[in-house]
Amino acid sequence: MTRDHHESRSKLGSAAVRSWRLGVVAAFLVYGSALTLVSTPARAVPPFARQTGLACEACHTIPPELTAFGRRFKLSGYTLTTRPPLVQDVDDHKKDTLWLTDMPGIAVLAQMGYDHYNRAPPDTGQPYPAHAQSDTFQFPDQFSLVYAGAVSDQVGAWMQLTYNGQAGSVGVDNIDIRYSDHTSDNKWVWGVTANNYLTFQDVWNGIGSYAIPNFNTVTLSSGGVAGASTSGPILNALGPGVVAGIGAYVFYNDSLYFELTAYHSAVAGGGSPVVDSVSLAANGGALDRFAPYARIAYERDWGYHSAEIGGSALYVNWIPSVGYISAQQQLAANAAAVAAGTPGTPPYTPAQTFNPGAINRYTDLSVDWQYQYNGQHNIFSFLGHVTHERQQNSNQLVAASFTGASTPIYTNPTDTLTQLLVTGEYYRDRHYGGLVSFTRTTGTYDPLANGGNGSPANQYETFELDYIPWLNIKLILQYDVYQVVANNQSPFNLSNASFPNSPGFPNIRAGNNNTWVVGLWMDY
Amino acid sequence: MNNLGRNSVILALIVLGVVFTREAAAADALVPHDESVYGVKALVDMACSKCHGQTGVSISPLFPILAAQQPSYIEMELQLFRQRSRGDPHARAFMWGIARALDDDQIEALAQYFSSQPRVSVRAAKDPALAAKGKSIYENGVPERDILGCIGCHGPNAEGIHTFPRLAGQHRDYLAIQLEQFNGRRSNGQLRESEIMHRFTQNITEDEIAAVTEYLASK
Repeated sequence: MTRDHHESRSKLGSAAVRSWRLGVVAAFLVYGSALTLVSTPARAVPPFARQTGLACEACHTIPPELTAFGRRFKLSGYTLTTRPPLVQDVDDHKKDTLWLTDMPGIAVLAQMGYDHYNRAPPDTGQPYPAHAQSDTFQFPDQFSLVYAGAVSDQVGAWMQLTYNGQAGSVGVDNIDIRYSDHTSDNKWVWGVTANNYLTFQDVWNGIGSYAIPNFNTVTLSSGGVAGASTSGPILNALGPGVVAGIGAYVFYNDSLYFELTAYHSAVAGGGSPVVDSVSLAANGGALDRFAPYARIAYERDWGYHSAEIGGSALYVNWIPSVGYISAQQQLAANAAAVAAGTPGTPPYTPAQTFNPGAINRYTDLSVDWQYQYNGQHNIFSFLGHVTHERQQNSNQLVAASFTGASTPIYTNPTDTLTQLLVTGEYYRDRHYGGLVSFTRTTGTYDPLANGGNGSPANQYETFELDYIPWLNIKLILQYDVYQVVANNQSPFNLSNASFPNSPGFPNIRAGNNNTWVVGLWMDY
Repeated sequence: MNNLGRNSVILALIVLGVVFTREAAAADALVPHDESVYGVKALVDMACSKCHGQTGVSISPLFPILAAQQPSYIEMELQLFRQRSRGDPHARAFMWGIARALDDDQIEALAQYFSSQPRVSVRAAKDPALAAKGKSIYENGVPERDILGCIGCHGPNAEGIHTFPRLAGQHRDYLAIQLEQFNGRRSNGQLRESEIMHRFTQNITEDEIAAVTEYLASK
């Protein structure tokens, strides 16, 4: 799961539901289920190399960033190989009816981290001066088993099972199953993808689940301390345990890409296949009906250079997880209380409710870009995206037109959010290198949704140094520096409802969230 | 353990037993792979075409055009890849692995397949003056700096012969990278093995590489 994936969860619900992680814990307690929401960065995996015989650098500049050939490999359904299938059967028309490789593409991915916060965040349960421990090992931060590779000669899959150190549980993670075919001259490649993470299917690295930087542990920008995270567009928040989608794509002449995918609610951890108020609480909300996602990109490769410019559009009907109770529900609950012989105090205090019609509508428009120089000794990339989001809040939940018996959730009928991510990378001989990344988010002021003065703004940089002794082992030193962390995004802030005991914290600054990360990533 | 639990375990064991028995039977029943089934069409489809195109006409200039290439050259290179004797970076990253499972018959068949594909139609030179200079280098070399003309081995129309590859119509970037790797000056040591090419590219300049590749790409 990328940082962005975590970012917008808090934004999706009310102030009362800041933390998806708390939600996960709640789900775990309610269901006693190990199937909680987890997700990890997906990377290059050795099974691809074992299947194809290609070295990592054929498909990756530095994992997980793809080269032009890597994009082609993914869009061809992960099927490339020259190894004869171990088992093959054909029908009367000489068409394959069975095609099994001689080895299943299983990999282990592991990620360890050590995080040190600039300042110890407040204790979620105790008043100041109590505070949390400010540095921890994430050991493992994430540990995954992945199947990656061909399933038949035209079908391939990435299927990941992950132990998430923060959730403390094992769950189904990223999945992408593809069917792919091409014209006889190979100029047109097309395919179908079924996946559970919007943007996981993408092949460029300026936006979405594979956006660079991609090493995320528990910094504020990648999910943060429990109860806090930086805000971002919903585009990056629809991941495993929340959605699943089926889409079709076409890639022409290694340059023009077009994709159309429709996502639908796929909430994990519930006791039944329907989404109800409990699963809303666990996941920070749920998708309503189908969310169409369109993606277009143009790439041009010359010599060691590759450049891409792309755009995407997403429309989401989102049922927020909010503490809303309608007057009708209140009446019914009170009537039930009277019938039970306990009238008086309202017996029904909803934490989350599922209300027909209480739906927020998001429209996300993005432009992303990527330039790569993938030379024999030097690798340079410059990539990023700008995403503009328009969020039309449900009339039922907006202060001016609020219809409930509890408190309204949003100040504005329409909120907007704009996020900019710019990243530059340099690596020498695929052994040493690093990156600098800048993220800035701004938006309309909505005090009810965001607390304080209502600003959802954040601004931070990530500095990373990498040492890659082998291509499947990476040692990482990262420093995140925050200039702006507005209102509820900050664990230190008085208005953050997840930290009701934090009043009294003196001298709060965005820089309190600065974080050192020492990381180890490896796969085999 | 209550009855329900015990019964469940017994049931699970029975099911597992049945599954394993069925699996074993299924594995025996399947036809083992016949090497001949994995012929040229499947290889081109599953592997070669991803970079070199279905008919040997690659889109990316990093990968050479193979259509109408000399069959002996393709065969020789595939054998070099398979025995890991050609060590330029792209050979290592891509072709060592791709060629590792090929047998001699497959190599020969692939060479025949690609060499018999129609040659690619070429664009006109973007810079005719540069191409003219390239033509002169190709035909006459640069005698004062001990660079022989390419024509002697690669033929009057750069069509190649036997193990000397066709150069006409090849991607300009690909040719330039190969010349740099033979020369080794920019690529930090001679990366592509060939005693002949090492010798003739020893003194070649970047301008001359640009000229001769412009000429060949448009020929």
